[in-house]
Amino acid sequence: MNDIKLGISLYSFSTEFIHEKLDFEGILKKAHDMGYQGVEIVAAQMVPEYPYPSDEWLAECKALLTKYELEPVCWSAYIDMGIRGDRDLTEEEIVQFTVNDLIYAKKAGFPMVRTQHAISPKIFREMLPYCKQLGVKLTIEMHHPHHPEVPVWKEYFEIMKGEGRGWLGFVPDFSIFQTMPHKLYLDQAISFGCRPEKLAEIVELHRQKADYSVVANGDFNEIEKHTAEEMFGKFSAPAKMEQWKDMIDCAFYMHGKFYYLDNDDHDPCIPFEEIVAEVKRLGYKGYIASEYEGHHFDETIDSEEQLRHFVALMTKNLEK
Amino acid sequence: MDFQAYNKILICKDDIRNVRVGDAVLGYEFKIKYPSYRGAFLSCIEALSFEVDGKPVPAGEVSFRLNGKDFLLSELPECFKEYWFVRAPATVFVRIPGGIEPGEHSLRVTMRHRVPYTGYFGQYLTLLSDVTETRAAH
Repeated sequence: MNDIKLGISLYSFSTEFIHEKLDFEGILKKAHDMGYQGVEIVAAQMVPEYPYPSDEWLAECKALLTKYELEPVCWSAYIDMGIRGDRDLTEEEIVQFTVNDLIYAKKAGFPMVRTQHAISPKIFREMLPYCKQLGVKLTIEMHHPHHPEVPVWKEYFEIMKGEGRGWLGFVPDFSIFQTMPHKLYLDQAISFGCRPEKLAEIVELHRQKADYSVVANGDFNEIEKHTAEEMFGKFSAPAKMEQWKDMIDCAFYMHGKFYYLDNDDHDPCIPFEEIVAEVKRLGYKGYIASEYEGHHFDETIDSEEQLRHFVALMTKNLEK
Repeated sequence: MDFQAYNKILICKDDIRNVRVGDAVLGYEFKIKYPSYRGAFLSCIEALSFEVDGKPVPAGEVSFRLNGKDFLLSELPECFKEYWFVRAPATVFVRIPGGIEPGEHSLRVTMRHRVPYTGYFGQYLTLLSDVTETRAAH
């Protein structure tokens, strides 16, 4: 059997959850029925008493995971820096939120908390004693538009490879490898007023690595220019496969992010074949979460069908 | 253009309901949800306004009810310990003597809100959710 296991972020069922087609338990049951074992919960989404869940709720969560034979893998946390309009969170507030998340994770049975880059290297380091006391790892997600060369990550990797080794790590999100906009993004751009032939022209210019100024000065309407600006900004600095080897020892978990799949074989936006081949070659052991995120763009798509495509695609590549 | 699909949950399917206290009709109420995949601190709502049948509802006549409390719309930016769970409807109570005429009405909700964790390079993403739906009142 493979050292790499496919898990699921329950966030993949955002559409069903927010439209009240599935509740928390319904999603756990669905994950079990689909054959998943390892699960991630986004606390700010599914924990009803967030950010102050009671011990009763946390115990119930743990019991439900047992009931559906699911393995708690990751408790996902946020650094909501901009909660207040007048200032960012202070260090004390970030510490308070993060220690709380480590405690909640422990009580609900999760061995890992996933937080965000805004935690700062100083506070990340300060969490190490709490991690050791509780036996809970702390990881930072590397999500687009961040990538391995964003300066703060140099500091994070130093901490993860040094004093934090084994306790402090990171969660690469496959969005960092995205090379072009996905179908749902393009469909939405058309619904907002992009002319299909003009949008295709923009996608082609982007593929050819043209400068945005070609669009800015070209025959395009305002929404087309706005879309192009976003597209050129978002999908022009994908991480490189050769960067894996320097960071994979710090990857405790991975987010198999995807936006839309219409088949079991290939996604034109994120190079899953290359990613899987490289992380296997480098000996990664652990979970890759199925993380469907098309719900940002289109709520009419069936999340389960998307996940089935993803599982088929990933399984093929994992078994290669 | 992330987040746009979530605007579909902003105005709940519930009807508009006239609010009776004893024999008096003091106004009407309807329900809204936070338009995202996750909940929000109320302090992330930078602006919230309503129109009924094309006419603005004066902010001073509105109570925003959530978590067992009533808030003024002007208080929301201060509510940085008050969390709006993504599946929890808030009730918007509009005080107007006699309430609202039974039948169908056009209801517009406009919310400007900050995504508090998107300060990737120092700038928060601010979203505008602007939704109009027809709802029956009775």
